[in-house]
Amino acid sequence: MSQGTVETCGPEACVPSYIAEETLPYPFCPGCGHTKIASMIDEGLRALALPPERVVVVTDIGCVGLTDRHFSTNAFHGLHGRSITYASGIKLADPDLKVIVVMGDGGTGIGGAHLLAAARRNIGLTVIVANNFNYGMTGGQHSATTPPGAITSTTLLGNLEMPLDLMGTLKPARPGFLARTSVFAGDAVELVTRAVASDGFSLIDIWDLCVAYFAGQNTLTRDSIEQMMADLEMPAGIHHEGTRPEYARAWRDLYLPEEVADEEGMCLLPPDKGLEPVAQSQLTGRTSILIAGSAGQKIRSVATLLGAGAIMSGLLATQKDDYPITVRTGHSAAEIILSPEPITYTGVGTPDIVLILSEDGLAHVKKKLPEYPPATRIYAEEGLGELDTRAQMIRLPLLAKAKEVHRLAVGAVGLGAILAREGLYPPRLSWPPPAACRRPRWPRPTPPGWSRAWSWGSGVAARDVRWRLGRAPVLARATTVRVVG
Amino acid sequence: MIEFLEGNDAVVRAAVEAGCRFFAGYPITPATSILTGMMRALPKVGGVAVQGEDEIASIGLCIGAAMTGKVAMTATSGPGMSLYSENIGLAVMGETPLVIVDVQRQGPATGSATKGADGDIEFLRWGTSGGLPLFVLSPENVRECYTLTREAFVLAERYRTPVVLASQKEVGLTREAVDLQAARDDSPSVFARPLADPEAPYLPHAFHDPADVAPMSPIGGPHLVRYTTSMHDKRALLAKDPALIGEMMEHLARKILAHAEEHALYDLDPQEGADTLLVAYGVTARAAREAVVQVRAAGKKAALLVLKTLFPVPEKAIGEALAGVSRVVVPEMNLGQYVEEVRKLSGDREVVSVAKMNTDLLSPEEIIAQGGLL
Ligand SMILES: Cc1ncc(C[n+]2csc(CCOP(=O)(O)OP(=O)(O)O)c2C)c(N)n1
Ligand code: SF4
Ligand SMILES: [Mg+2]
Repeated sequence: MSQGTVETCGPEACVPSYIAEETLPYPFCPGCGHTKIASMIDEGLRALALPPERVVVVTDIGCVGLTDRHFSTNAFHGLHGRSITYASGIKLADPDLKVIVVMGDGGTGIGGAHLLAAARRNIGLTVIVANNFNYGMTGGQHSATTPPGAITSTTLLGNLEMPLDLMGTLKPARPGFLARTSVFAGDAVELVTRAVASDGFSLIDIWDLCVAYFAGQNTLTRDSIEQMMADLEMPAGIHHEGTRPEYARAWRDLYLPEEVADEEGMCLLPPDKGLEPVAQSQLTGRTSILIAGSAGQKIRSVATLLGAGAIMSGLLATQKDDYPITVRTGHSAAEIILSPEPITYTGVGTPDIVLILSEDGLAHVKKKLPEYPPATRIYAEEGLGELDTRAQMIRLPLLAKAKEVHRLAVGAVGLGAILAREGLYPPRLSWPPPAACRRPRWPRPTPPGWSRAWSWGSGVAARDVRWRLGRAPVLARATTVRVVG
Repeated sequence: MIEFLEGNDAVVRAAVEAGCRFFAGYPITPATSILTGMMRALPKVGGVAVQGEDEIASIGLCIGAAMTGKVAMTATSGPGMSLYSENIGLAVMGETPLVIVDVQRQGPATGSATKGADGDIEFLRWGTSGGLPLFVLSPENVRECYTLTREAFVLAERYRTPVVLASQKEVGLTREAVDLQAARDDSPSVFARPLADPEAPYLPHAFHDPADVAPMSPIGGPHLVRYTTSMHDKRALLAKDPALIGEMMEHLARKILAHAEEHALYDLDPQEGADTLLVAYGVTARAAREAVVQVRAAGKKAALLVLKTLFPVPEKAIGEALAGVSRVVVPEMNLGQYVEEVRKLSGDREVVSVAKMNTDLLSPEEIIAQGGLL
């Protein structure tokens, strides 16, 4: 590859061009404004006298996308409209790099969302828009900046769209530097230089001539460009200068403080303490449990606790959740399989145990109820009315009991009941906190007992709710991960 | 030591432990917990995690960061995978190491956001223009979400290529007891990205043999680095000569295909005298394993091949598993995709597709009945 012939001099001495001599001439049509823009960027870089290895020229697609080839800096030529995304990735990876994006008006249209996001972030990119009012490379079609009435190969009788005003659009984001000029303006080099020097997001909208298409078809000339600015009320000059912190560094300052966040604050990567078995379950075969309730009843958390308790009793467990995309309404269900043997298929055709906590939960299982055999045990909130099933029914005042602490603790109460009656494993185990987040200390396992489990279940529920409401971060977060689409 | 983890959690753990230090993603069920997990995990190890303004930006951010020396990953589901498409081609063209997790949902389009399927499988292989090969791995459980993510990073870094982990809701959001340390012990060690000699001139796409992979040099490092989406030569400069272009195409293909067998991951459960072979992958492999247990318990015979590497197609493994059988049954949670890969290798054997994409898991009973296994 071209290493360039550039040597960097100190600020007091000469700074050679960043244009690699041997790559010239440019491939642009004679008279194309893109040539001038390349020189302006070179001037801007020379003013900063940066080592070429610390400069990246990222180009978009189009004729203007050929520009990077001529710079003896790092060069990245990406997809149409996406140059800002690569440039942002580069800047986030190495915030001290000088990252220049060179894009056409075409890129501002197809990649508009990226422009807006980059300006809102104030990420330290210098965006040079070579705005020639059409897609030069593909043969002069209209673009996001084509003026009304203009003739192009896709606006044969005149353009009916209003042009994108980059200054007006980006100014509310208050980025580092916004300016408009033209390839003919006397202050263009000066403005490009300031844009390149800017620390935060800077963009310069350089009105440009595509001599092959737009200029000819619409008699746009050096002289009429200024008139067009006036007609469209899109004046030249500096439109904004801001001092918001540059995003890539601000992100590091905020998220990568010198002192790494304490373990309790972000308990995501606990040292692998895991769920050590502290008891031995008597379970000999695969047992499946279906918990069906309403969104918000912490069904998934309860299921996780059930499974974690099983693991602490030497079993293996899987948990498969089912819920609609709106997580705070409708049903929420979880299927848990416990087994001393490795679990292959995670589906639960006919569950051994069913816990129904609410009308939503009932509606979810209703169709299957008549199919459940007498061997299936259904634990149901007693307020739910008659159920059409041959399965064994155990009706309990789950909700009333839960309300002693909080109505949403109904699942924890039901779980306590199941553990006490089914003997899946010692009930005290069913509330193991995630390893390394163990706070406060958990009681040691004690022998199963219905009444104790009951009160224990309620007690657990109370703690659960207190944690949840008090945002005691760890367990609540670990067990209330919500996935929303 | 056992933990009770979701597949997506295991992906996050594996990524961090594989050295991933850059993540960008856009929220989408059922992949969101990878985004939020990486957001919490990466700052602790000095990495960067951001939410992109869309999926196109997210993968673009990753490509830029990867070329600046970061080990990068992104994660999405079908709709986002569709938006990744063009940039996957860029990563292939520019030889960018990148791990892409597709936690599939039932589709097409927005589909069923909270339900699983394996409907993207062929799209993952053929989902960008140009048709060049890439690696696609498919985990069947939480443990493999860990091990195959670790594997994916090795492949991405070693071959400078995008690698796709084809997860889905029924794996990514299923919680399961997993011995992480055992999974770790079973994983390949971290593959440190080879860097070009800082003193020597740098050719970003150098190769002698087409199957060679050039060491990288980070943007901002000792060399001036050039990268391009356009057809290029070894210097990353525009190439127009058909001979040169042909050579580069051969390089991009051979560097993957020449190493395909080395990275063909699978489990074969043969049975002497079996006439039928089940070929399964992903969560459906779990039902297939159960089906085989039931078939054998009933006194019948069946062999099982579980594929973890889906692409490049493990032709040798499939060929060996096919020896001696006259029927092949391929169950999948789509309308029948990978079955066509198996059919190509099956000669005149009977090939049966057991296909379902109604958001329910394929059950062992369905596989047995529709596959004519009993
Ligand atoms: C996704 C995509 N769509 C379309 C194209 C075809 N294309 C190549 S250049 C171009 C227009 C570029 O116009 P502009 O950005 O204004 O640059 P100019 O050629 O005017 O310098 C288009 C649409 C492409 N390369 N990629
Ligand atoms: S087609 Fe237009 S934009 Fe492209 S090089 Fe020619 S004058 Fe310039
Ligand atoms: Mg243009």
